[in-house]
Amino acid sequence: MTNEPLKYTGFYSESPRPGILGWLLSTDHKRIGIMYLVCIVTMFLVAMCLGLALRLELIAPGPTIMGPQTYNATFTVHGIIMIFLFIIPSIPAAFGNLVLPIQIGARDVSFPKLNLLSWYCYIIGGILAVISIFAGGGAPDTGWTFYVPFSTQTTTNVNLAVTGALMLGFSSMLTGINFVTTIHRLRAEGMGWGRLPMFVWTLYSTAWIQILATPMLGITLILIVLERVFGAGLFDAARGGDPILYQHLFWIYSHPAVYIMILPGMGVISEIIPTFSRKPLFGYWAMAFSSLAIAFAGSLVWAHHMYASGMSDFAILVFSFLTFIVAIPSAIKVFNWVSTLYKGSIQLAPPMLHALAFIFNFAIGGLGGLALGAAASDIHLHDTTFVVGHFHYTMFGGTGFAFFAALHYWLPKFTGRMYNHKIAVISWGLVFVGFNVTYMAMQAVGVQGMPRRYYDYLPEFMPLNVVSTVGSWVLAIGLVMMFVNLWNGIRRGHPVGKNPWGSATLEWTIPSPPPMENFGEEDPIVTKGPYDYKGVVADEY
Amino acid sequence: MNQLNNPTAQAVDNVLIYIFGFSLLLLLGITVVTIYFVVKYRRSKCPEPTSQVEGSWLLETIWTVLPIIIVMTMFWYGWSNYVGLREIPADAMEVKATARMWSWQFEYPDGRKETKLYVPVNKPVKVLLYSTDVLHSFFVPAFRIKRDTVPNMESYVWFQAPETGSYDIFCAEYCGVGHADMTTSVEVLSEEDYAQWASSATVSADPRGLIVLNEQGCIGCHSLDGTENIGPSLFELAGNPREIEKDGKTIEIIIDEAYLQRAIRDPDAEITKGFDPMMPAYDEEAINNEDLQAVVDYLLGKVAEEEPDGDRLMVENGCIGCHSLDGSESIAPTFKGIGQREVTIERDGQSVTIKVDAEYLRRALLDPNAEIVKGFAPMMPAADYLSAEEIDAIIKRLLQE
Repeated sequence: MTNEPLKYTGFYSESPRPGILGWLLSTDHKRIGIMYLVCIVTMFLVAMCLGLALRLELIAPGPTIMGPQTYNATFTVHGIIMIFLFIIPSIPAAFGNLVLPIQIGARDVSFPKLNLLSWYCYIIGGILAVISIFAGGGAPDTGWTFYVPFSTQTTTNVNLAVTGALMLGFSSMLTGINFVTTIHRLRAEGMGWGRLPMFVWTLYSTAWIQILATPMLGITLILIVLERVFGAGLFDAARGGDPILYQHLFWIYSHPAVYIMILPGMGVISEIIPTFSRKPLFGYWAMAFSSLAIAFAGSLVWAHHMYASGMSDFAILVFSFLTFIVAIPSAIKVFNWVSTLYKGSIQLAPPMLHALAFIFNFAIGGLGGLALGAAASDIHLHDTTFVVGHFHYTMFGGTGFAFFAALHYWLPKFTGRMYNHKIAVISWGLVFVGFNVTYMAMQAVGVQGMPRRYYDYLPEFMPLNVVSTVGSWVLAIGLVMMFVNLWNGIRRGHPVGKNPWGSATLEWTIPSPPPMENFGEEDPIVTKGPYDYKGVVADEY
Repeated sequence: MNQLNNPTAQAVDNVLIYIFGFSLLLLLGITVVTIYFVVKYRRSKCPEPTSQVEGSWLLETIWTVLPIIIVMTMFWYGWSNYVGLREIPADAMEVKATARMWSWQFEYPDGRKETKLYVPVNKPVKVLLYSTDVLHSFFVPAFRIKRDTVPNMESYVWFQAPETGSYDIFCAEYCGVGHADMTTSVEVLSEEDYAQWASSATVSADPRGLIVLNEQGCIGCHSLDGTENIGPSLFELAGNPREIEKDGKTIEIIIDEAYLQRAIRDPDAEITKGFDPMMPAYDEEAINNEDLQAVVDYLLGKVAEEEPDGDRLMVENGCIGCHSLDGSESIAPTFKGIGQREVTIERDGQSVTIKVDAEYLRRALLDPNAEIVKGFAPMMPAADYLSAEEIDAIIKRLLQE
């Protein structure tokens, strides 16, 4: 630790416009990435507090700290913020923007102005979502899934929340278009497809889902508004509509969306594990193609959310089969990560600890998904807290931990400062233990039969709920410690050199923080692969 | 989770155990290998990697093909046991379950309505699922069955309980503020208890005259609905003419009280044309005068329709799911003291304070969203499916509050 005041160098100091406008009107991918990062972390902290309140309510049967309407609004807002404002943009919009162009040797994304527009879509969507909590009518109480007919009948601010989600969808699509184009058009000389860092491959797969699936979300959300405002009757069976049709439309986007959420996380892990093993990523092409396979197969499994909905048994047969197919590329990734460790030189630095925790959590989440994909067992587990636990294992234990890993891995690059490693390891331990206690107990009480979205429950479900709530406090303490440590690192940490971890991708060949133009006068020429550590030396810090 | 030896729970649990078992093994394997590698190849011991291997297509093939085989067994096992949840045994009894915000109603084939699902032990039960408003889901953890109730769509589940007892029913599909309280139970009764429960239904519901007709076996020869049988039908008798043979002559009479009494006490004296004289006579020992009167009254349609029970209607139709009876806060105005109350309502955008009376309550039942009590949301479904008598009974009951 040093008491030197934070000096703004690199892209922080070089800007055509001074002050705040230099940020709000900047088309630089790093500045936009930092703006995304600040908003996304803020949103995470807000929704985390809501989640803690939900857990506290569930510490005992009956109303504990809130009544049913407040509880319903709280889990709805927790879900909307976490899904649309945190997880979906977390890694692609924040770290994708920061890292992707540099990793392929480009000076910016293909459409810098579109990039800024997508940030404004995100901000407008976020503001609308926040207004919907406080405006008259009350916070939306539909759950983040907006299932009809309930969502067309409730008097809460569903229209606003839906419009907010629509704007966030546009933001996501624009980012996807930008990334696909950038990866195709702006790779540096020598950066062939076989030399793309795996993070870029996963962003590429993600971007295709963003482009192809997100319009479905837009259509679905507009149909809800039509239904609410004009009584269109599209989902009303009494007038020739069909409530189950809504569920298909919703999940045609929202299932691929969970791969939008997890794939970039897998990319982060695929960067960190080779770096801290000093060994090439095992099975490069298997990893690249499994990313594309997840994106493709993941688009065909949406109706596995609907086994109990009243959908035909034949549809259940088909979607159950396809669901098991999508398990394969995820399994391949896990095996390749573990094999990368073999005969490596493993350093348990904070990013690596988060990456290893990711593998463990994601394995539990993925394996739990098998029980949900099989038709018979899903009938019991569907709509219980097991599903909530499973979802958090993949999205929080998976993407969340990958996001923390990315923060610990790349923040020193983009701030030029290193955080305290000892506190980072302790906070990692608390987060890991707290996380597993919280959500394993939640899964267990779901197997017992406790339905989800219950503010009140029968006494027999109490012991595991208490365990889960206590776990959430450990988790929260760990998270606060982690964010405080990172913040202190940004403000007062040791300055770091170009390459504190000894990584081999291009972003570690330029100063920390990077200059506005990324690379010097001449464009880089790439002569080796992303995981070729021969001759790469980690800078002391 | 208190009983697992029923057929649907076994179908689900076998799959769960198979998948969870395999998953645990895989998780253990991955974790142990990871920890082993991390410890063995730690940087303090291995400052440089001892291998620069970039992959192995043999390994990739193995760990692609093996998982495919494993998950395909899971898929098939899950599917084939799911089929067992959909195929209903031939001797299953049927009960209709209707979900609405935020309570359940179970209707039996004889029209009896209950708020709990009473079933006999060891009998397959098919539950037909309906919803009157939004999505709900019928979930009985003990039987591992779950199915959404969708408005305007019929769906079903089945189960068979091998032991008596009470089993929780939950609503598993989020449906609004009362979602967590939308619980009831399956009451599994022994065969004797169930028979008693079922017959008590008949006793309480039917007028005495009909019970006598049933008990004396009259229905065996005389239909109640106009169908031809051995004896003339008892359908719509009052005031109708009938040709009878008396003392060898055919005459036409108008059916009245005196005729019916004669026809029961001394049936062979007057025979309805076209039928044989074969009905036994019922003297006072078989049917006393009081019961005779009850039967005649019933046949002439004089039985005063029993006034519907307001309390029961409010439970059956789920009113008290939202309107409390004890004055507690809920999402709708409480019923306690509603008969003596003045309420402020929003009507056509204006606030009006009125005294609660029968007319207001009728409007509130039939067109609930035209006038909304201040501070509450317009969300109540109209009770226009009730008969006029039932509406009257509810209003009468509410005004007593």
